[in-house]
Amino acid sequence: MTQIFWAADVGDEWHAVRTELTRAFQSSRAAAQADTSFVYVVRQDDLLGRRGPGNAMVATGLLSAARTAAMEGSRKGWTCNVIAYDKDEERATVERWARHLLEDDSVSGELIRVGPGHIGKALP
Amino acid sequence: MTGVIVVTGAARGIGLSIAEKLAATESFTVVGVDLAPELGLSEVMTPVQVDLTGDDGPAMVRDTVERTGLPLLGLVNNAGITRDSRLINMTDDDFGAVLEVNLGAAYRLSSELAPLLAEGGSIVNIASRAYLGNFGQFNYSMSKGGIVGLTRALALSLAPDVRVNAVAPGLIGTEMAMAIPEETLEKMVSAIPLDRMGTPEEVANVVWFLLSPLSSYITGHVVVVGGGRSLA
Repeated sequence: MTQIFWAADVGDEWHAVRTELTRAFQSSRAAAQADTSFVYVVRQDDLLGRRGPGNAMVATGLLSAARTAAMEGSRKGWTCNVIAYDKDEERATVERWARHLLEDDSVSGELIRVGPGHIGKALP
Repeated sequence: MTGVIVVTGAARGIGLSIAEKLAATESFTVVGVDLAPELGLSEVMTPVQVDLTGDDGPAMVRDTVERTGLPLLGLVNNAGITRDSRLINMTDDDFGAVLEVNLGAAYRLSSELAPLLAEGGSIVNIASRAYLGNFGQFNYSMSKGGIVGLTRALALSLAPDVRVNAVAPGLIGTEMAMAIPEETLEKMVSAIPLDRMGTPEEVANVVWFLLSPLSSYITGHVVVVGGGRSLA
């Protein structure tokens, strides 16, 4: 079971988008069935559609799914959150934030943005 | 300017309302797309009865638009379905069906028609307030969130010639809402500050605005039509 789900680059083919979102769904369902918290990790750029429709659909799809999962998890004691990171951020930094979200159940359904790229931009 | 506007999911509910509003202006030829046979009953649109998730679906719509000989001014991606259940019980089939219709069809049709859109054209994607999260709708919420991302990406890639926006309806008095048990429905309405369900016409009014030159400096946005439910 994957607790930290890193969204893969999918390009702009619908089949690849569907495969990635299905992989996220199946991973999330397994975590939920085990009453286990999970975190999606996406690129900041993708929440605003800057790297094309494929990656955008995956990132924003995961953000919305996380909000719904968080509602369902709140009744069971598990959480679901999203981390969006700037392209230059270290993977270790992102994982540190993800582990923190997995260890502390006081935050759920939230988007944490690592790096300054979102400042002054639209709220996703 | 006269031309064609394509509306998917046009056989009933919000889609039919949008098609009727557009047709009433007499400036537009409305191409209505739906799988449901009642599509043909409408006198206000040119019907294309097709499954948009099929390989040939988007191309059939394109052929119909091209046969009119008119410029394509707009596209409204409205077709959608629900297959609700809690995440722990959701089947692969229910997940896949919702994703394919609500997101895949919108993406594939947008890709097919974008090259035809005239300068000044507009795409309006019908998302849902569920993109902010909705219990028991992991698949639907994900698909509508994906629609928001698609809207933003297309807004960037099709600018400056074509604008792309989304409308996110809340609880609207359609067949889909009427299928909700009465007690649940009353509870849902009581959480809406405007104290009622919206009407398909109220969604159509916003779609009309986003298709029209009145919104000529707006692109990449999501307009929630939900009676204030997202605040309460």
